[in-house]
Amino acid sequence: MSEIKQGKITFSFKDAINLGFNYLRRRRDRSLLNIASISLGLSFYTSLILTDVFYQTYASIGGSSLSVESTYYWLVIIALIVSVVGITNAMLISVFERIREIGTMKCIGALDQHVLLLFLVEAFLQGLVGGFIGFILGVIAALVSTGFTTGFDIITYVDPTRMITIFLTSLSISLILSVVATMYPAYRASKLDPVEALRYEL
Amino acid sequence: MSFEKVIELKELARYFEVGGDLVKALDGVNLDIGRGEYVSLVGPSGSGKTTLFNMIGGLDRPTQGSVYIDGVDISKLDAYELAWLRCRRIGYIFQSFNLIQVLTALENVALPTVFAGLPRDEGNDKAQKLLESVGLGERLHHKPTQLSAGQQQRVAIARALANDPAIILADEPTGNLDLKTGTEIIDLLHKLNRSKGLTLVAATHDLKMIKASDRVVMMRDGKIEKIEKGEAPLNHN
Repeated sequence: MSEIKQGKITFSFKDAINLGFNYLRRRRDRSLLNIASISLGLSFYTSLILTDVFYQTYASIGGSSLSVESTYYWLVIIALIVSVVGITNAMLISVFERIREIGTMKCIGALDQHVLLLFLVEAFLQGLVGGFIGFILGVIAALVSTGFTTGFDIITYVDPTRMITIFLTSLSISLILSVVATMYPAYRASKLDPVEALRYEL
Repeated sequence: MSFEKVIELKELARYFEVGGDLVKALDGVNLDIGRGEYVSLVGPSGSGKTTLFNMIGGLDRPTQGSVYIDGVDISKLDAYELAWLRCRRIGYIFQSFNLIQVLTALENVALPTVFAGLPRDEGNDKAQKLLESVGLGERLHHKPTQLSAGQQQRVAIARALANDPAIILADEPTGNLDLKTGTEIIDLLHKLNRSKGLTLVAATHDLKMIKASDRVVMMRDGKIEKIEKGEAPLNHN
């Protein structure tokens, strides 16, 4: 009696990362699709911010004054929303594909919050990779769009702390959007009834 | 012979509502299962075997009646305590193996030890020993898709044993296996039941499996129709 009452169930962040990483690696196509989705939206964002920074830097070293059209910012927001919807969709499919496995995990002792953690960790890892790739693509895009007027060496004139700030902001946006997009699918997965889940045929 | 009750079912009933009709999946089941006993559940599909399993495993709650595991009424447990019960006291074996496809055999067997809070190294050592004991010492790092059906079921058995449970619930464990592999799995389960004193409850249609059991519980329409002694005598050492 007391043994059941005192029992402990664990599933650490490290365990979740280990298992989540395995899932991402094994389902490479879907993971890459998610990463592409987030990194494309993000590269648009980064390139726009950087283009503006490059123009400002160009003006500060004696070039003519240029600016980014404000309508582009609306397009960035729309691109990021599209990324979020795409990830939510892909993660929902991922939940349905894994219904039996989720049921099995619950059968061998996983709690709802462990399943939730697993999916959010996968989203986090995808956001991390997507953020890096998105930033690099954004830098390239910004250079391509400004380089012909400002010269491609403009990037060397930009204050490094400003570059780092932009990088960290991009990465944070990527992580937040990826995790937000996965919240609903992860919640659905965690609330699955193991009896139903085990009976589920794909 | 002492008969120590591990599982006790009292007036157990589970009703479902399907399209406005009341379906009595279980309807007043009384059954005591002793420690180290090997019980086969038989009956046509829809007779309530799987529902009974879900009840014993704490996956589903009864409409009426109670399930006692080691004297504890599990309908009184919260989600956390039920998870612990499933993790530590009960091992599941399924007809379709239900291994985690992205994990290797070793990782699959070690997964329950992760939930049980065992350190990674200890869990892996244990998983390796278990896989060796079911004859898969050479296939530790294979993924389920690289294993035959019989080998996958062996991995599933090793996983069920990972946290030294007292009870093994096996739902048609030989249902997806050919005759020869099925016989090997039955022998393995029987050996574990005898050598480790595990309580084994198996739903099955497999005549060989029924013959090996201590008692055969026949179910029909959510009720126990009759209970017969199996051919293997109950023998505790």
